[in-house]
Amino acid sequence: MPPFRLVWKNLLRHRTRALLTAASLAVAIFLLCVLRSLLVVLESGIKASASNRLIVQSSVSLFVYLPESYEAKLERIEGVERVVRWNWFGGYYQEPKNFFAQFATDVEDLFEVYPEIELVEGSQEDFFGDRRACVIGSEMARKFNMRVGDTMPVIGGLFPRTDGQPWDFRIAGIYHSVKPNVDNNTLFFHADFLQKALESGAANGPEGVGIFVLRLEPGADRVRVAETVDALFAGGPQRTQTTTEAEFQAQFVSMVGNVPFFVGSIGGGVLIAILLATLNTMLMAAREQTRDIGVLKALGFRDGTVFGLMLGQSMLLTGVGGMGGLLIALSSERFFAQLLGTAFPGYHIAAETVVEAVIATLLIGVLAGIVPALRARKLSVLTALRSVG
Amino acid sequence: MALIPLSYNLRSLIVRWPSTILTVLGIAATVAVLVGVMALQQGFTALFRAQGRDDVAVFLRQGATNEGDSAFTRERAMILMKTVPEIAEDEAGRRLVSAECYLAVRRNKTGGGGETNVPVRGVMPMSFVIFGRDITFSQGRNFTPGTDEVIIGAKLAERIEGARLGEVLQFNTTPFRVVGIFEHDGPFSSEIWGDHDRISEALERPVYNRVIAKLNDETDWPELVRRMDQDPQVPSKLLTEREYLTSQTSAFSFVLSALGVFLAVIMGIAAVFTATNTMLTAIAARTIEIGILLSMGFRPHAVFLGFMLEALLLGIMGGIVGALIVLPLNGIQTGAMNFQTFTEVAFAFRVTPQILFGAIVFAALLGILGGAIPAWRAARMRPTEAMRRG
Repeated sequence: MPPFRLVWKNLLRHRTRALLTAASLAVAIFLLCVLRSLLVVLESGIKASASNRLIVQSSVSLFVYLPESYEAKLERIEGVERVVRWNWFGGYYQEPKNFFAQFATDVEDLFEVYPEIELVEGSQEDFFGDRRACVIGSEMARKFNMRVGDTMPVIGGLFPRTDGQPWDFRIAGIYHSVKPNVDNNTLFFHADFLQKALESGAANGPEGVGIFVLRLEPGADRVRVAETVDALFAGGPQRTQTTTEAEFQAQFVSMVGNVPFFVGSIGGGVLIAILLATLNTMLMAAREQTRDIGVLKALGFRDGTVFGLMLGQSMLLTGVGGMGGLLIALSSERFFAQLLGTAFPGYHIAAETVVEAVIATLLIGVLAGIVPALRARKLSVLTALRSVG
Repeated sequence: MALIPLSYNLRSLIVRWPSTILTVLGIAATVAVLVGVMALQQGFTALFRAQGRDDVAVFLRQGATNEGDSAFTRERAMILMKTVPEIAEDEAGRRLVSAECYLAVRRNKTGGGGETNVPVRGVMPMSFVIFGRDITFSQGRNFTPGTDEVIIGAKLAERIEGARLGEVLQFNTTPFRVVGIFEHDGPFSSEIWGDHDRISEALERPVYNRVIAKLNDETDWPELVRRMDQDPQVPSKLLTEREYLTSQTSAFSFVLSALGVFLAVIMGIAAVFTATNTMLTAIAARTIEIGILLSMGFRPHAVFLGFMLEALLLGIMGGIVGALIVLPLNGIQTGAMNFQTFTEVAFAFRVTPQILFGAIVFAALLGILGGAIPAWRAARMRPTEAMRRG
């Protein structure tokens, strides 16, 4: 049992030093939480994916379109309940830097197949009834300060209008997605509207469908349906690659390449730097307390108590710092979520991030405390008392 | 003014070596992380920017921000190629202009690393004339126009499956044979090139994504940019190749720079605190010495400067060690996403002299900031009290 009062008093002996060490540890733990949360966002789409949805895309490229005629063929496949078209629109609001995702889709099916998308304002009937209508995500509505009834002018990057004007969508509703696989920064509108505009020559752009999302009947065999689809189109005109929603999301993480590795390396560097700093403080403290340890031992305190005294100081110091770091991370969660909203939608400090931060803190506490603690335990009374400190 | 000799500081750093080493390593780790991020940013930017040519013109569809978005129909591309009078001719009287198609295709990374997006470029023979000696072959030969042959950028050949010399790559339903590996110092070395007509047929994309050309020397660029923008027949966006490639890097480069600044501030704070701790302890343990120095007639500002110098030394040593840790990164190949076209490009970390210099200055600054309060405390000590306290 370490003498807690002594642990505490020893730390207070050098208030500035204790404060600075705890503060730098807090900063480091905060940084680790932020970095970890970025990775959590990258992976969150995969985890939240539904198992009853399959994605049919071109096996050649993300940017190759599938023929419209595939829809009817897909609907006839056994096990397929519904087919939703998704077309990447690739436009922007006012300037290219105001980037957000827009999809032309079968809007009625969308709400059926994606129960996680909930309208928080406006009505579905209004949206379904008006070809020029759209719904936008709650995050986007806040960012651009848009309300139901406003007009959202979108400049068609991929689908420019022949009259040179932006596409004007009337906002019929604002949605909120309760799962991270659909973000709250997206605009959805009628696929038929886009198709009519292309047919009438009001706009230019690639024809076809970006991806088909299939909702399967309950109990349908995912693997069999996927194989059937790919076999059906193996002879062309466009080969398909049918995957689960999780695999579809995972391909984007894989395409981002080495980012998780980079972020991990940075985190490793931060951990090493802070471990060295804490170790430095503990070694300094241990040297100053050499004589105290001698006195304690001379008074009959056991080696274990002395060991606990040093380790306790380290744990207390890092514990305070780590807690501080977690508090900063949690209280800045909202700020970062807004700042990084577009690139990292759904930024949040997950429970597992908190657990990892606590583990990192404990680890630093033990590693930094163990060397001075072992030394204190081994120290002979005479050497200790003779030390000049 | 009498200054405290430097050897005094040096020796006290050596005497307290465990603390010195830990502080130096702490600063070094901070510096190393920053240098790593900046070397990544430099490598990525240099790949695009440095290789972009000022004498090559790139025509994109109006409003397009990259080749993937841009598209010209066959007719429009032909009009553009034939009618712009500023396009230069070679000795044989051929116009130095080429139309290309571009598509990011899925490929599997070697070693089971999942899928990645690889740019495929369908070019006309004139593209090789325009880029001239920038493109060289390290293995095999160029593709024969009109055939199902492709050539692969050297940096890509090892990164994706089926891209070595003699192997076969399939696009949709058409197989293409790899007949050559080519070198280019810029982003082309992460691309697959083939005959325009064959590639666009295999991919069923009967369009041209961009037109490139060499222009006459006396071309008035701003005037031509304005004219192309308002051209009634084929309006287009005209940039130099350097401008085009620079625009491709800005987003990712900005992210990396922002990350670098964020890390510098946050980790810098922690490093300053550590340096302050070290110096505070050093000074506390040397109270008697400081008292002696002061009573020997050294002025308080000499004491202040002396300890600042010690902190500065700690910082600079940390900077040097940190730079040395990261130096081996220089030249190591890595891949990152070009978020404009959503394709992966391979490039090398670039630890430039500027980055190293900046890192050491940054580390020195950390030392100075960390040393300021302790040195000030030391300078304010009263000689008699200081000597009594020890």
